[in-house]
Amino acid sequence: MSRSAYWAVARSEEVTKDKPLAVDIGDQPVVLWRDAGGIVRALEDRCPHRRAPLSLGCIKPDGRIQCGYHGWIYDGETGRLKEIPNMKDKQKFPPLYKAIAFAVTEADGFVRVSLEAGAVAPAASGKTMALSGTVHIGLGHAHYVAALFDDPGLLLTLRGVDFTPYLTSELHIENGRLVMERDCQWSGPHWPAPFSADFPASLWSATDPVTGETELVLRDRDFNEYLRAVLAPIPAARGVTAVRWRAELGADRHGLRGLMMGLGDPVSLHASVDAAALRVLRPSASLHGEDLRAQIAKHLLAQIAPGTVAAAAA
Amino acid sequence: MLDVADRPTDTQDAPARTPTLGATANSWVPHDIVMRDSWFPLAHGFAITERPVRRSVYSQPYYLWRENGVAVASEFHPNEHQSRDKSGYTNAAGRYPVMEHYGYVWGWLGNPEAADARHLPSLPFLPPKGGLPRHMLGTVRFDCTAPLSLENLIDLTHADFLHANVVGDEHSESETVEVFHDSETITMVRDCRGKSVAPVMKFFSGIKSPVQDVRQVIRIYLRSHCAIAYGRFSPGDDVPLFHPCVPETRDRTRLDYAMNTSNAGLMFRHIMPKASYLVSRQDSSMTSPQSPRYMREPGRRDLHSPFDKAGQTYRMLLQDLATRQAQGDFAYRDNVSDDCSDIIGLRKELFQY
Repeated sequence: MSRSAYWAVARSEEVTKDKPLAVDIGDQPVVLWRDAGGIVRALEDRCPHRRAPLSLGCIKPDGRIQCGYHGWIYDGETGRLKEIPNMKDKQKFPPLYKAIAFAVTEADGFVRVSLEAGAVAPAASGKTMALSGTVHIGLGHAHYVAALFDDPGLLLTLRGVDFTPYLTSELHIENGRLVMERDCQWSGPHWPAPFSADFPASLWSATDPVTGETELVLRDRDFNEYLRAVLAPIPAARGVTAVRWRAELGADRHGLRGLMMGLGDPVSLHASVDAAALRVLRPSASLHGEDLRAQIAKHLLAQIAPGTVAAAAA
Repeated sequence: MLDVADRPTDTQDAPARTPTLGATANSWVPHDIVMRDSWFPLAHGFAITERPVRRSVYSQPYYLWRENGVAVASEFHPNEHQSRDKSGYTNAAGRYPVMEHYGYVWGWLGNPEAADARHLPSLPFLPPKGGLPRHMLGTVRFDCTAPLSLENLIDLTHADFLHANVVGDEHSESETVEVFHDSETITMVRDCRGKSVAPVMKFFSGIKSPVQDVRQVIRIYLRSHCAIAYGRFSPGDDVPLFHPCVPETRDRTRLDYAMNTSNAGLMFRHIMPKASYLVSRQDSSMTSPQSPRYMREPGRRDLHSPFDKAGQTYRMLLQDLATRQAQGDFAYRDNVSDDCSDIIGLRKELFQY
C-alpha cells in the first residue's frame, strides 16, 4: 500500500463539524472532521495519551478535536496537543505531545488523505457528481481491483446494462492511468455475447495504478454518454475494501434506455461478492494490469534513481 | 522441413529472437505476438452501413461506415471528441486503407503506404464480390488470444474428442497427416479412410453409410490470422469454411465466418453453418482457460506428441515472422494472394467464381 498516494477515504458529505468520522487506510486508523472553517482535518485515530480512538470524542466549537477518554484536545492542522482539561494555566506542551497529522485534500466530492506529509495532491476536475454512496466488501483491495478489470459485473450493477467479456480496447497506459474499454449489452432479451456481431454500448474505464480509483464512462455506439462515475476502493482493516463512489447521468441519454436509466438508482455497488464466480474468473486484463504497474514503477524508479535500474538490468 | 521438437533459438544462421517471443515452440508467449502490415477482415460487407460500427485489431480502433456506398475506416468516431493522438497506421485524415473483397471489408494495420491488394489472402471458395446468403455467415467470439484459436483449429485431433457430437469420433481405418508451409502460410492435410460418419451429416445430410472418407485441410495465413478449414466428405458434402481470427485485443478473438455450403442439400446447407455456434463454445471451453496461462513466460515447457506437428510448426512459423517484424522487416517473402485452390485440393467445379 502506497503511503504517498492520496486515498479517497470519504465522500465530502460524510465529513462534518458535528461528529468525527473513523476510517482506515490499510492498518492505519484515521479520524476525519471539519474544523471551524469547514476545512477537513485528518489525524491518526489514536490519542497519544492512552491510545483511545479520537473518533470516539467530539469536535469543539473552535474546530479542534477532543478525546472522549480524558478530554485532551488536539489541533487538526498540526496534531499538536492544545489543552488538557483542568490544567488551567499550564497549557504549554513540548512538541512531542502530538497526534500524527495527515495531508488532506478535498475535491470533486471526495476527501483524500495521504499518509505521507508533503505528498502532492492530485489534480481536481472541479465538478462534484450528485449521486454517491459507500459500501464495504469482504474482499482485499488488490483482488477488488483485479475483479473490476476482469468482470465488473461481480462488483457493481449499472441499471439496464450487461457487461460482456469482450474488450474493444485492452488495458493500456494513458496519461499515467490504466485505461480500457469493455463492450456492453442492454439488459433484456439479446443475442448471447459470444455470438454478437456488434454491441450497443461500451464502458470506458481509467484506473489509477496505485489506488485503484477508477473513472467509468458508459456510452452508446454513437458516443452518446449515458453515465459517468468514479469508484474509489480503499484498503481498509482486516482485508476489507471500502468503496466510495460518485456518479451522474449523462445528458445525451436517448430513447427508452436512457429514460429507464434515470429511474431509480443507476449505479449500485455490491457489498458482497459471488465467491464461487470469483474463484473461477479467469484473469485477463488484471494480468496486463500487473505488467503495466510494474512498467510504471520501473519508469518512476528510473526517474528517481537511474543507476538503480541500470544495475538491476545488468 | 522444420524440426518441430525443440529447435533452439539462437542458431548461427537464424537471427536471435527477442526474449518475449519465447525461446522455443514449447515455451512461447503468443500474447506478445502482434502482427502488422496485414489485411484483417473486419466485418462482413452487409454489416457496414452509413452508421459507424466499431471494430478493433490489437485494441487499435477502427470505425467503419459507408460513404456513397464505399466502405471507409477511420481511427476516430465521427461524433468523438478527439482527445487521443492519431496513430501512424492512418493517413493525415485519420483514415485506414480499406478494401472490400470476398464479401468482407478488410482493414490494413501497418504502414499505410505498404497496403496492397496483393497481400490479401486467397480464398478461392468465396465469391470475390461477396453475395453468399446470410445463413452461411455468422459471428462468434473466443475468449482467448488469436494464436491459440488458430493452433486449436490446426490441431485436428482435438475435434475427435471435443466435437465428437458434431464431426464424429476418432475411429478410422487409416489416417495420414501432411504439413507444409512457407514464410506466410502453413497448411495441414489430414486424410482419413473409413472414419465414423459425422453425426451432423448423418442427421442433416442423410448419409446412411456407417463410415466415410474424410479429407480435411487447414490453411492458416499467419500474418492476418485468417484460416481456411476445408472438409471433403465422401460420401457427403464439401464444406469450405473461412475462419478469420481477428485479434480484437491480445486476449480476445473475433470470428466473422463464412461457410460456403452452396453445393450441399437443402437441410445441411442451412444447418451446418449454425454448427459454428456449438463448436465455438466447445473450443472456447478449452482455449479460454488456456489463454491466461500463455500470457507470460512459463516456468516449464509444454509437452508434445507426433500429432502436434502442425501446431508446433505453426508456433515456430508465427514466432519467426514476429521476430522478423520485431527487427523491422515487414516484407512479404511469399505471396499470399496466389490462388491456393490446388494447395487445399478445392473441387473447382463446385466453386466457379
